[in-house]
Amino acid sequence: MKIKEKKWIRFRIYLVAVFFLLGFLTVLARSFQLQVLEKNRLKTFARSSYEGIIKLPPKRGTIYDRKGHELAISIEVGSVYSHPKRVKNKVKTSSRLSQILKEKKSRILKLLKSKSSFVWIKRKIDPDRARKIKALGLDGIGVITEVRRCYPGREIAAHLIGFVGSENQGLEGLEKKYDNFLSGPQYSLIHMLDAKRRPFSISRPIPSGNGKMHDLILTIDKDIQYKAQQALRLAVKKTRARAGHCIVVNPDTGEILAMAVVPEFNPNIFFRYKPYQWRNRTVTDCFEPGSTIKAFLLAASLEKGVVNPNTRFDCEQGKYKIGTKTVRDTHKHGIMSVSEIIMHSSNIGAIKIGQKLGYGTFYNYLQQFGFGKKTGINLMSERKGFIRPPKDAKKIEQATLFFGQGMTTTSLQLVMAMAAIANGGKLMRPYVVKAVVDESGRVVKETGPEMVRRVISRRTAGRVANILEKVVSNEGTGAKACISGFRAAGKTGTSQKVDPKTRRYSRSKYVASFAGFVPVDRPRLVILAVIDEPRGITYGGIVAGPVFSDVGSWCLNYLRVDPQLRLVEKGVNQGETERSNIQKTVVCRPAPRVKGGALPDFRGLGMRDVLKRGRSLGLTVLLKGTGLAYKQDPRPGSSIKKTTMVKVCFRPPT
Amino acid sequence: MFDRRLIQNFDWVLLLLLLFIATISIINLYSATYAIRNAGGAQVFTKQIYWFSIGFIVLFIMTSFNYYRLERFANAFYFLSIALLILVLIAGKVTSGSQRWLGFGPISFQPSELAKISVVMVLARFFSEEGGYREYRLRDLGRPFILIGIPTLLILKEPDLGTAILVVVVSASIILFVKINRKSLLIIVLTALSVAPFIWLNLKEYQQKRIMTFIRPDKDLFGAGYHIHQSKIAIGSGQVWGKGFLKGTQTKLHFLPEQHTDFAMSVLAEEWGFIGAALLLCLYLLLILWGLNIAKDSKDKFGSITAIGIVAFIFWQVVINVGMVTGLLPVVGIPLLLFSYGGSSLISTMAAMGLLMNISMRRFMFQGSYIPKK
Repeated sequence: MKIKEKKWIRFRIYLVAVFFLLGFLTVLARSFQLQVLEKNRLKTFARSSYEGIIKLPPKRGTIYDRKGHELAISIEVGSVYSHPKRVKNKVKTSSRLSQILKEKKSRILKLLKSKSSFVWIKRKIDPDRARKIKALGLDGIGVITEVRRCYPGREIAAHLIGFVGSENQGLEGLEKKYDNFLSGPQYSLIHMLDAKRRPFSISRPIPSGNGKMHDLILTIDKDIQYKAQQALRLAVKKTRARAGHCIVVNPDTGEILAMAVVPEFNPNIFFRYKPYQWRNRTVTDCFEPGSTIKAFLLAASLEKGVVNPNTRFDCEQGKYKIGTKTVRDTHKHGIMSVSEIIMHSSNIGAIKIGQKLGYGTFYNYLQQFGFGKKTGINLMSERKGFIRPPKDAKKIEQATLFFGQGMTTTSLQLVMAMAAIANGGKLMRPYVVKAVVDESGRVVKETGPEMVRRVISRRTAGRVANILEKVVSNEGTGAKACISGFRAAGKTGTSQKVDPKTRRYSRSKYVASFAGFVPVDRPRLVILAVIDEPRGITYGGIVAGPVFSDVGSWCLNYLRVDPQLRLVEKGVNQGETERSNIQKTVVCRPAPRVKGGALPDFRGLGMRDVLKRGRSLGLTVLLKGTGLAYKQDPRPGSSIKKTTMVKVCFRPPT
Repeated sequence: MFDRRLIQNFDWVLLLLLLFIATISIINLYSATYAIRNAGGAQVFTKQIYWFSIGFIVLFIMTSFNYYRLERFANAFYFLSIALLILVLIAGKVTSGSQRWLGFGPISFQPSELAKISVVMVLARFFSEEGGYREYRLRDLGRPFILIGIPTLLILKEPDLGTAILVVVVSASIILFVKINRKSLLIIVLTALSVAPFIWLNLKEYQQKRIMTFIRPDKDLFGAGYHIHQSKIAIGSGQVWGKGFLKGTQTKLHFLPEQHTDFAMSVLAEEWGFIGAALLLCLYLLLILWGLNIAKDSKDKFGSITAIGIVAFIFWQVVINVGMVTGLLPVVGIPLLLFSYGGSSLISTMAAMGLLMNISMRRFMFQGSYIPKK
C-alpha cells in the first residue's frame, strides 16, 4: 500500500513536471518571439513613438567675400518652447509671455492649450528677450539656443547668396547650391515622455548624422558689390525701369567680383518679398542683347579677315530692305567704315558686315564666345539662351542676328564674352566660389581660373578693343560710359523686347545695356550693365552707360589702378566727370568767324549737324541732352549778330 | 531535538538557487529604480536588501522545526488567516482603491499572503488525511471547495484579483494532483464556464478593461493597454543580448509603470536581452524541478502535497507574471516572486521556501520506518 502510494505520487509528480515544463516553454517562447523574432518592429516602436525628437536646424558655415568679409553668418538665438501639459496656469503664462514676445496673447494661449507634448512658442528671438523669459522660470516653458542664419550685409549680394528656411535648409542661391557643404550636423533634442505623455526631461542638443560644416569663400568683393548695387539702383530708379543687372568680372581669371540685381531684397526677411524677386536674374533670365552683339560680329569678322576697320559699307541712309521687311537705323548714315558702323551702332552696317562674314560663321563664333550654352558657373538654374541655328534661320532672321535680335543671352554670358575680348581672346569659365574650407581651415575644394577656349587671337582682340574704345568716345553711342583718366571700351545695346501678348517686338519696352572693359591696354574689369524696360530715354549708352562709368571709375580707384596722366590732362574731351548728372553739358569752343543773318532752325537735327552748322556760323553752341534737338535758345530766326551763344536742347526721338 | 542529519541533509541546492535569484533581483532592482534614485528609488533598493535578509532569517526559522507539526496547526493557521482577511476588510489601509494592507504599528503586511500558504497547508492536510490513493468525487470535494472559496471571496473583496486567481489555480493544481474522478472534473469545468459570465459582470470596470485589453491589445494603446504595450516594447527592444546594465531606455524613461514591482521582469529583459530573461526563467525552472524532486522524495503525503502546493505557487506566479509582462496573459497584479519589489510577498515566499527546505531536509529522516501521524 505504502509503496503503491509512493509510486502513484511519483507518477503524478512526473505529470506535473511535464505540465510545468510546458508552461515554462510557453513563456520562454513568447520571450523569444518578442526579443528575437519581433525585435525590429518593437525597437522602432520604442524609438519613434516614445522618445519625442525635435530636430534643430543645423549650424551653417560662414560665407565670406574674397577679402574675408562675412556675407552670411550663423548666430545663436533663443527659441521658446513649451510642454503644454506641464503648464499649470495657461492664461497667466500666456499673458506674461505675450508681454515679452510681443505676440498676441490668444495665439500663445492656443499653443499652450494644444494637445501635443511639445510646441514652439516662438523661434529665433534675440538673446535679450530669451534671457528675460528664462528668468521668469515659468512651468513648462523653456528656452533653447538655436542657430539662426543672418546676413549682415542685408541686400549685399542677396541674389547670389540666397537664403535659408526656418530649418536652416538652403532655399535659394549659393545657400541651396552649396547646402551640403554649408550645413553642419543636424542637432536634435530628445525629450522623454512619461506614461501620460508629459515630457519630463529635455536633452541638450545632440548632433545626429555626420554632416560636416564648411565655409565658402567667394570671388565677390563686398565693396565692389556694394558699389555695383548702389549705381544700378540709382540708374533703375532714375529711368523708372523695371529691373537691372550689373556684373563685374575680372577678365583674366573669370572671377565674378560683383553680381548685382535690382530690385533688391533683404534675405533676412526674404518671406516679405515675392519669389520672382529672389531670382538671380543675371543667370536665370534671358534677353535679346541687341547691338551689344555687334562687338562679337566685329571680332569674328576681323578674325576671319573678311573686313578691316577701314572697310567701307553703304549704310543706305537708314533704310534697308531685306526680302519684304525693312531694317532701319535710328540715324541716317551714308557710307561708313567698319569702325564707324560699330561706333554709331548702325544696324544696316552690321548686316552688311555680317553678310560678308556669313550667318553660319557668325553662328559658330557666337557659340565660341559662349552664347547658347551654359557658362557652367555653379549657380542655381542657369539658362543657356538661344541662337537660331543656320538651317532654321530665315533670311530676315539671319540679318537681324547681326545686330543681336532673334537670339537670347543671359547677362553672365554676355559679360563673359566681353571679357574674352578684354583679355586677349580667351573665353574664361566664370566662378563665384573661390574655395570651400572646412572647420579646421583646410581647403576642401578650390576653384581657379579655367580657360574654356581661345576664341580669337590676341591681335584681333586688341583691334576690336581699339574700335570699341571709340564707342565710348564723345561721338560714339557710349559717350556716357567714359571714365575720366582711363581708356574704356565697350558696346551699347538697345533692344526691343518681345511683347508676350502680341508676340511681336514692343514699341515701348526696351532692354538697354552696356558691356565694356577698362583700361583698354590692360583690362582689369569687365562691367556689364543691363537696364530692363527703362522709361523715357531707352538708349543703352545713355541708360546703362553711366552705370558702367560710375562702377568702373569707383572700382579703378578702389583697386588703385593708376589713371593715365595723358588722359587726365586732356580732360574734358575724354573724361567728363559729372557722371551722376545724365543731362550733361558739352561745351564746344566757337569758331572765330561771325556772319550776319538769321539764326537757323536747329530743331529736328542731330547733335552732329547742330554742332556743324552752329560752328560754321561762329556761334558757341551749348548742347543739352541727347537725341534730336527740340528746343533752342534764342529762337530760330532771331538776329545772329546779337547772339554769340546758342543753347540747344536735345531729346531722344519718341 | 537537534539532529546532525539536519546539517548533512541541508538543501544546499535550494539555498543556492534562492541566493542566485535574490542577487539578480537586487541588481535588477537597482537598475529599475535608478532613474528615480533621487526620488525614493535608492530607498527601494536598500529596503529590498533588508527584506531579503529578513527573508533568509524567516527561511531558516521555517526549517527549525519538523514540518509535520504544522499539519496539526494547519486548521488553526487557516482560521487565523481567515480572521485577518476579515479584519483587513474592516480595518485595512486603503491604497489606490483597494484594501489589502493590515498595519500593526510600523509593520504592515497583506493577510492574503498568509492566506496563500494556509490554503495550501489546509488542503495538504485534507488530502493526506483521507489516506491511500483514490479518486475524489464531487461530493468528496465539498469541504475543500469551501476551504478554498472563503479566502478567495474575501481576497476578491479587497479587491486583489491577482492573489485570488493565484489561490484558485494553486488549489486547482493540488486537486488535480491528487486525482479526481473524470466525471466530477467535467462537471466542475462546465460549472466554472457557466459561472464565468456572472463573475465577469461582478468584476470592477478596470478589471473588465484589463481582460478586454488582453483580448484586443491594440485597441487602446495609451489607455488600458498602455502597460502591456510598453512592457512589450521594453522587452522587444532588449533583443538578444540586451542594452546593458542601466542602459534600458524604455524602463529608465518611465515609459513602463510599476517597473520595480510587477514589471521588474521587463527591465531585466530590456537590459539583459533574451539571454538574461532565459537565464532567469531557467533558474525558476530549476527551482520548480528541485521542488518537485523534494515532493517526490518526501516521506509522507502531507509533505508531498505541501511541496506540490508550494511549487505550484512558484510555477503559477512565474508563468502568470511573465505571461503578463510579455502580453501573453491579461494584466492581473501578480508580482514575480523573489524578484519584484515588495516586502510582504517576499517574506511569505521565503517562508514558503523555508517550508520546502524543511520538507527537503527531513525527507530521509525516517526512511523505511513507521511514519507517525497525528
